[in-house]
Amino acid sequence: MNRTASRIFALLFGVLAVTLPFFAGDYPLQVARNIMMYMALAITWDMLLRSGQISFGIAGLFGIGAYAAILSVVRAGMPAWFSILFAAIFAGGVAFVIGFLILRLRAMYFSIVTLALGEIFRIIIHNLHDFTGGPEGVVIQKGVVFGGKANSLYWLVLAGLAVAVAASTWFEKSKIHFALTAIRNNEVSAKSSGIDIFRWLLLAFVVTSAIQGLLGGIFVQSYGFATPDAVFSADFTLLPLAMALLGGVYSTTGPIFGAVLLGLVSEWLKLKIPYGHLVVYGIIIVVVILFMPQGLRQLVRRTPHGADGRSA
Amino acid sequence: MIKLKTENLTKRFLGLVAVNKVSFSMEEGEILGIIGPNGAGKTTFINLISGIIMPSEGLIEYKGTDITYMPAHERARRGIARTYQLIHPLENLTLIENVMVGSIFAKGHGLREARTKAEALCHELGLTGLDRDTSRLSIFEIKKMEIARALANEPEVLFLDEVMAGLNSDETKDLIAMVQRIALERHLAVGVIEHVMGVIRELTHRVIVLEAGELIAEGKYEEVSKNPRVVEAYLGGGTV
Ligand SMILES: Nc1ncnc2c1ncn2[C@@H]1O[C@H](COP(=O)(O)OP(=O)(O)OP(=O)(O)O)[C@@H](O)[C@H]1O
Ligand SMILES: [Mg+2]
Repeated sequence: MNRTASRIFALLFGVLAVTLPFFAGDYPLQVARNIMMYMALAITWDMLLRSGQISFGIAGLFGIGAYAAILSVVRAGMPAWFSILFAAIFAGGVAFVIGFLILRLRAMYFSIVTLALGEIFRIIIHNLHDFTGGPEGVVIQKGVVFGGKANSLYWLVLAGLAVAVAASTWFEKSKIHFALTAIRNNEVSAKSSGIDIFRWLLLAFVVTSAIQGLLGGIFVQSYGFATPDAVFSADFTLLPLAMALLGGVYSTTGPIFGAVLLGLVSEWLKLKIPYGHLVVYGIIIVVVILFMPQGLRQLVRRTPHGADGRSA
Repeated sequence: MIKLKTENLTKRFLGLVAVNKVSFSMEEGEILGIIGPNGAGKTTFINLISGIIMPSEGLIEYKGTDITYMPAHERARRGIARTYQLIHPLENLTLIENVMVGSIFAKGHGLREARTKAEALCHELGLTGLDRDTSRLSIFEIKKMEIARALANEPEVLFLDEVMAGLNSDETKDLIAMVQRIALERHLAVGVIEHVMGVIRELTHRVIVLEAGELIAEGKYEEVSKNPRVVEAYLGGGTV
């Protein structure tokens, strides 16, 4: 898809996202909120992928953010608003520390370790019963943002999505784009051009993790509770991944398209075949990787000279 | 003025000594040929100097500073640049963007300034169609792009690892002239690895010869090519 067309689509989605609460009912708003949450995660996953690092740890950082937010409210009496910000800072801080250990790893070693770390976070939360509430989780008795009003929560999630889009655009338009693409294409070349690989990977990892944590914070504040199984659910890793792959990686618009498409399909599937949607995600990931490594955009892209080819 | 020197530089890979106690130096403005049969250790030597691999022993000094174990990106920033024998274009960046990278990260220029500088460099090297994907470039264009990428670092020392390989004789002639002009205008110290001795004869002021990791001869091309040890080394793998 050429740039103008994808910009127009993105703009249309933007307008739709902003106007939806004024005419849509509760159910469509709930669906849209869900889709936007996953869309934001898909964008952050793609942002790190631009460096060549494939993370399976989205759910881990999302869950950490969720628990940071809810525990800071329940245990420390932090205002709900601030707890969301705290979730971002906390997840970013965790990413900074583990980044020093795991960003030396590449390819599947990195992927597997991120997956394992997510699982470790879940188990820790699960077992720190007195502080985290263990498997039963934690409930916010009072003080959820907006008193849980659906319309207002919609805006909250939209704001989270806006943060992801803004960060992703920053990654695309700044020197970060050059750093991450060079690292992905050839690390030896990148070094020879003066790129401090570790520093840029750390930046990308911390920023994307902080946003994942932020989204986790928004998630618990929207629902008012957290359990390890709910916030560390594999869905938060698999769905964003499938969405970005489907829409086309290495861009902001790809994950947006993928999320809208897959979000709507999976909503429909959930009604038709409960749990069947998970099978469908799996199938989509396999089919896309096998046949459309550049995602759906590949089907409509006709740019022979690479004016848009940087994201190809 | 001496820009770069090594002392007893050594690299061992498991049992193999790829570079063995090599001591040499390079002067500002000098074009130095680095020759030797296949597997002699030429590329490894440059990998050590540019920091792509770390030495087992020895010393590397650049402008009076010990850089033996300095990270590669830091050396690039300080002015050591190189091209690769196995070309490494950044395939998801366009031609101009490839050239911008060194400007951005080795020199810290902003995107706009980097683009302007990259355009000038491409112009200087006769590269056009700057928004093309690298997959659309000819071999000659790729080689020139690799040189432009290295020059974007605004280096003081430049190594070219078989940039002429795969070019026809007209292109080779062009590139020789280009390298000479670039070196002269920028007062660069240039290290040139080539197998084609005509190129070495025409381009270089001085030559060092590596064989099995050791520096076996040094001097003007005319002298070195008559050196019995060099002749013998080449009789094993080819001709001088
Ligand atoms: N990373 C490595 N691990 C193990 N051995 C290596 C490695 N790199 C190079 N070698 C070996 O070191 C020796 C020197 O290789 P090098 O590539 O430096 O030679 P060269 O002089 O550049 O040869 P050519 O003219 O063929 O490019 C060879 O025997 C090579 O197989
Ligand atoms: Mg070589």
